[in-house]
Amino acid sequence: MTQHNAYNAGIMQKTGEEFAKEFFAEENQTVHESNTVVLVLMKSDEIDAIVEDIILGEETKRNPTIVVEDRAGFWWIKADGEIIVDTELASDMLGKPYNIYDFLVNVSSTIGRAYTLGNTFTITSELMGLDRKLTDI
Amino acid sequence: MALSAATKAATDALSINRAPTSVNPQEVHRWLQSFNWDFAQNRTKYPTKYHMANDTKEQFKLIAKEYARMESVKDERQFGTLLDGLTRLGAGNRMHPRWGETMKVASNFLEVGEYNAIAASAMLWDSATAAEQKNGYLAQVLDEIRHTHQCGFVNYYYAKHYHDPAGHNDARRTRAIGPLWKGMKRVFADGFISGDAVECSINLQLVGEACFTNPLIVAITEWASANGDEITPTVFLSIETDELRHMANGYQTVVSIANDPAAQKYLNTDLNNAFWTQQKYFTPVLGMLFEYGSKYKVEPWVKTWNRWVYEDWGGIWIGRLAKYGVQSPPSLRDAKKDAYWAHHDLFLLAYALWPTGFFRLSLPDEEDMEWFEANYPGWDAHYGKILREWKALGCEDPKSGFLPIQWLAENGHQVYVDRVSQVPFCPSLAKSSVTTRIHEYNGQKHSFSDEWGERMWLTEPERYECQSIFEQYGGRELSDVIVEGHGLRSDEETLIAQPHVRADKLWTIDDIKRANCVFADPLSAL
Repeated sequence: MTQHNAYNAGIMQKTGEEFAKEFFAEENQTVHESNTVVLVLMKSDEIDAIVEDIILGEETKRNPTIVVEDRAGFWWIKADGEIIVDTELASDMLGKPYNIYDFLVNVSSTIGRAYTLGNTFTITSELMGLDRKLTDI
Repeated sequence: MALSAATKAATDALSINRAPTSVNPQEVHRWLQSFNWDFAQNRTKYPTKYHMANDTKEQFKLIAKEYARMESVKDERQFGTLLDGLTRLGAGNRMHPRWGETMKVASNFLEVGEYNAIAASAMLWDSATAAEQKNGYLAQVLDEIRHTHQCGFVNYYYAKHYHDPAGHNDARRTRAIGPLWKGMKRVFADGFISGDAVECSINLQLVGEACFTNPLIVAITEWASANGDEITPTVFLSIETDELRHMANGYQTVVSIANDPAAQKYLNTDLNNAFWTQQKYFTPVLGMLFEYGSKYKVEPWVKTWNRWVYEDWGGIWIGRLAKYGVQSPPSLRDAKKDAYWAHHDLFLLAYALWPTGFFRLSLPDEEDMEWFEANYPGWDAHYGKILREWKALGCEDPKSGFLPIQWLAENGHQVYVDRVSQVPFCPSLAKSSVTTRIHEYNGQKHSFSDEWGERMWLTEPERYECQSIFEQYGGRELSDVIVEGHGLRSDEETLIAQPHVRADKLWTIDDIKRANCVFADPLSAL
């Protein structure tokens, strides 16, 4: 069964008339609130290792709704709620200094509210600044 | 010599609390925020009907040093890859020629958007009062300068390495005659920099960047890779690494006005106008470039649009803001119809007007046509039938003297230009959301293809006065217009644009002259 966050989940599995029927269905003529987030990471040696060891490792254990898909030049990652990347962990794994600004070199896109705090990068469905305040270290 | 009491005290203190040899950048960021101040009134040159709060945050805690280091690493990686590895591999000439032509449009047009975004984000820097918000906008100014250079570099790189550089090297000289230029200026320039500052932020950041850069700069790299292009992913994915901060800037613009009573009054209208403005151009143009400008298809454009625009931007950005009064854009229904059909409508007209372009278009082959019909049921009987007829009449062959724009006129299919979006449309052939409207104002007739643009025009008719190419060149013969509009290659005979991607059978200005095609303005006949 396709995970609900997969690149081709839901309507995206349909083709031709079946796709059109759902795409133009009356209930799909307004936006529907979504609790998911999307993270696009440009491929690089560091990012490939972070995806394999951190995002598909501990982070997926913490949030099993995470889906990672290889889209040629980038990793497309979607999850319910939030995705967190700790660059201190990444630094230990990579064996070199690697802080949050090094990670941002390859973060190509985010859908959701992305923010940094210390060594942590978070993309969340929460409305930061409205539902919850953004904080400093 | 004895130490003074003060010096001794300082020395003792330092021996206990050593001066730091380095400081965590986020500590520096926190310290910098103490330089914020309250304004008695905002003395910006770029006012807004909204009140932007003074405590708005910037989500990435940028400081100049880390920002500069981060961007330097990006550029080193990008230029290192392009100028060493990819050049040695001959990457500039390995993509399918259809895609090589697509990138003439994509990178030249994006460059214009990035250039105008410099001004737009600088304007927002001036309008905001919160120090962090200003910091975010200021970094965006620098980003947009970087992106302008990057887009220019993509065309420069292609011009040096691609087998057909015409159009990569100097596209802008054709801007007066190319039918896609004016719409691009509307969406990428006017929408970003004209009018209320917050409205510009909604156009640029909340819709343009948070919504449409994902297909325009991210999804395009999938199509590029599939068609053998390694240059575009190398540059565009690097551009997009700045866009996430711009999306956050747009969101923080909304956060900064969320508690302002003006937001209850104006925000939904401004959002709907911005959504329609951006989608009206990006939806057909991107769909056309991806599907008709490629040999190897990734997925139907309507699915790309459904994922990035409807489900993710609509659900994760706009849907989540519903509890703060943000509504689903009422124009979404028409936008969805456009996502399915508008790029096919546009290809018909772009192909019909091919001699006025700065890039080559090619007809779908039988394999493409099967793909279109499988993914857009009804495509073949409508668009496929016309394209087959044009091919049979010799539209690709300069000896035929057949120009599709003349076929349209002879068969009663008038082509108009929407006054607000500047996107051409043909009421008798359109399957997208087109509903024709004509107004007369100040002694001039104006055509519109939808109620959303018409509403914007009725509110501010003076804002949308751009002439269409038919008004500009009404009564003029096509070859004359092409020469005047710099549509020829350096041999001063061969057109930059061509109706195919073959190496032979190139159309010259004499071939166009023989067709005796005279521009007519359909509005003057009404």
